[in-house]
Amino acid sequence: MMNRRQFLGLSATSALVAGLTGGACGAGANAAFDLDALARPDLLSILGADAVRAIGLRYRRLVPRENQVQALHATILATRPWPSRVPWLVCPSIADMVQDDFAAGRTIVVQGWVLSATEARQSALFSLLSA
Amino acid sequence: MHIDARTLPNGSVLEADLCIVGAGAAGISMALEWIGSHHKVLLLEGGGFEYELAMQDLYRGEIVGLPYYPLQAARLHYFGGTTGHWAGFCSTLDPIDFENREWVPHSGWPIRREELDPFYARAQPLLELGPYEYAAADWQRRDPTLVPLPLDPRVVWTKMWQFSRPTRFGSRYRDPVVAAPNVHLYTHANVCELEANESVTGIEGLRVRTLDGKEHRARARYYVLACCSIQNARLLLASNRRTPAGLGNAHDLVGRFFMEHIEMPGGHLALAPDAVNPQMYAMEFGVTKARGELALSAAVQRERRILNGTVSLEAAAPGEEAKSTFQWATPELLAAFRAWEAHGRAGPPPAGLPEPPPAGSRFFHLVTRQEQAPNPDSRVLLGAERDAFDMPRAKLDWRLTQLDWRSFHVFYEVMGRELGRSGAGRVQLLDWVRREDGTWPSTLSGGWHHMGTTRMHENPRFGVVDATCRVHGLANLYVAGASVYPTGGAVNPTLTLIALSLRLSDHLKRTLA
Repeated sequence: MMNRRQFLGLSATSALVAGLTGGACGAGANAAFDLDALARPDLLSILGADAVRAIGLRYRRLVPRENQVQALHATILATRPWPSRVPWLVCPSIADMVQDDFAAGRTIVVQGWVLSATEARQSALFSLLSA
Repeated sequence: MHIDARTLPNGSVLEADLCIVGAGAAGISMALEWIGSHHKVLLLEGGGFEYELAMQDLYRGEIVGLPYYPLQAARLHYFGGTTGHWAGFCSTLDPIDFENREWVPHSGWPIRREELDPFYARAQPLLELGPYEYAAADWQRRDPTLVPLPLDPRVVWTKMWQFSRPTRFGSRYRDPVVAAPNVHLYTHANVCELEANESVTGIEGLRVRTLDGKEHRARARYYVLACCSIQNARLLLASNRRTPAGLGNAHDLVGRFFMEHIEMPGGHLALAPDAVNPQMYAMEFGVTKARGELALSAAVQRERRILNGTVSLEAAAPGEEAKSTFQWATPELLAAFRAWEAHGRAGPPPAGLPEPPPAGSRFFHLVTRQEQAPNPDSRVLLGAERDAFDMPRAKLDWRLTQLDWRSFHVFYEVMGRELGRSGAGRVQLLDWVRREDGTWPSTLSGGWHHMGTTRMHENPRFGVVDATCRVHGLANLYVAGASVYPTGGAVNPTLTLIALSLRLSDHLKRTLA
């Protein structure tokens, strides 16, 4: 488990690095990870569009290198845990990734909300694509 | 029987087998145990049966440490004590609270939780609570709408509270106490000094004074101080005729280790729309019998080396500001509340009381109740100013440690992750919880839970009372109440202090037999 300094100080860059184990899943699974789907985080149903948009904006200021659709999309895809050379493995859903983030401590605090690194990036995507 | 000490001839001598000083929750609980016995019991109460400003003023004191609530408003000085305005929250200490935790200096009780269980069970009816059941499953079985959040119990668990009516001990137990022929209740009988024998090995008598200028003596075979944590310490320290440091204070411990619960909001919870109905965590004052709060497991406390704590889920409108206990419950509001109750709750309740929770809300304030680390520098001392009896007033120097601060923050870190992992919702931290500067906000608050000033330890070098609650070095002086707690856990202290009082009562019955 991470200590408090790591928890609060987690930058998107370190979140990106933490838990990275390989490239994308099989091509068939990528439909679930298309841009539109990724830009609709489950967080919307909990916090609502305005709050998620504000979180996304804040995340992009915190992590300027991810302040682009392609960068966010690529980062989320890159953080999926299984390597592409085993294409028959079932990829985790985005919900699984969010859950795994929380379980592994890959969290980030944005506007006070304790979020998984994945859903924080999804919020950033939402703020870019729903503006 | 009841006698107003002001009606006695000056210089009266009151004699009994057992003398209990203070008629609050601890003192009355003990006195009830002795009704019908062949022993004569004195129950000395400084106040009368009603709130009186002159009596409350005796509790006024100086605050020199962290900001604190006015002392004369934090406790009630009449028959029934502070149960006159308590909210009725009851739960048990956890087994880990009794352990010597190497990461919590000065922790560890000389008794185990299992030893208190039978006394907890006996305390339940005194507080007009339900059965002695504090597992969430028990309450879910009684009411299937009470469903705990699907959290990993190895991390966060649902700890149950039961709610007393709340029982006002003054009105609830006045008649049986007054009707008991062997319990002699004296009101307006303020104990100003414990008089030790020449060798300071026991108490010979008590100096009892009334505000109209009379002075009496009380003599008994055994004495029990049950005046609340600040007054117990004050009385021992001020009884310094034979020993300058006061009684029971050979090792400079009396008054030290004053503890509160850190009781204030730390964040918010937004529940997921598909999360369970949060009825398990709802509380409506005077209606709800039991509810759950979220607590960190003992395993997490060990792993993260933090103190015990819980959060209650207080339904609110999004964006509504959360206030700490000391912020919303001002002395003026408490006075208005007591007056409203005294008039049978006729008419609308006083403005400022917490509103009933909005129906169907999925947004909650997270309000922490956290254990305070025992700290010898957090203490009650005697001040320079004196009260109407020429007794030095209390001086409170409340201090917290880095462990208190770190525990509060780690708590929210763990809670945020587990609520997110479970999918139950998301946690938002208040601004000050996100800071890392080690400071407390101006909203810092306790819960009026005064504990620890005459702590329990088998070794007199580390405690004022032994495991039976007898003051070390004094053969016939005992202490009842939360002042004997070595640590305070994260639960309101009333249930435990009554359980300990019943345990002490059993001990004294065996001793007097």
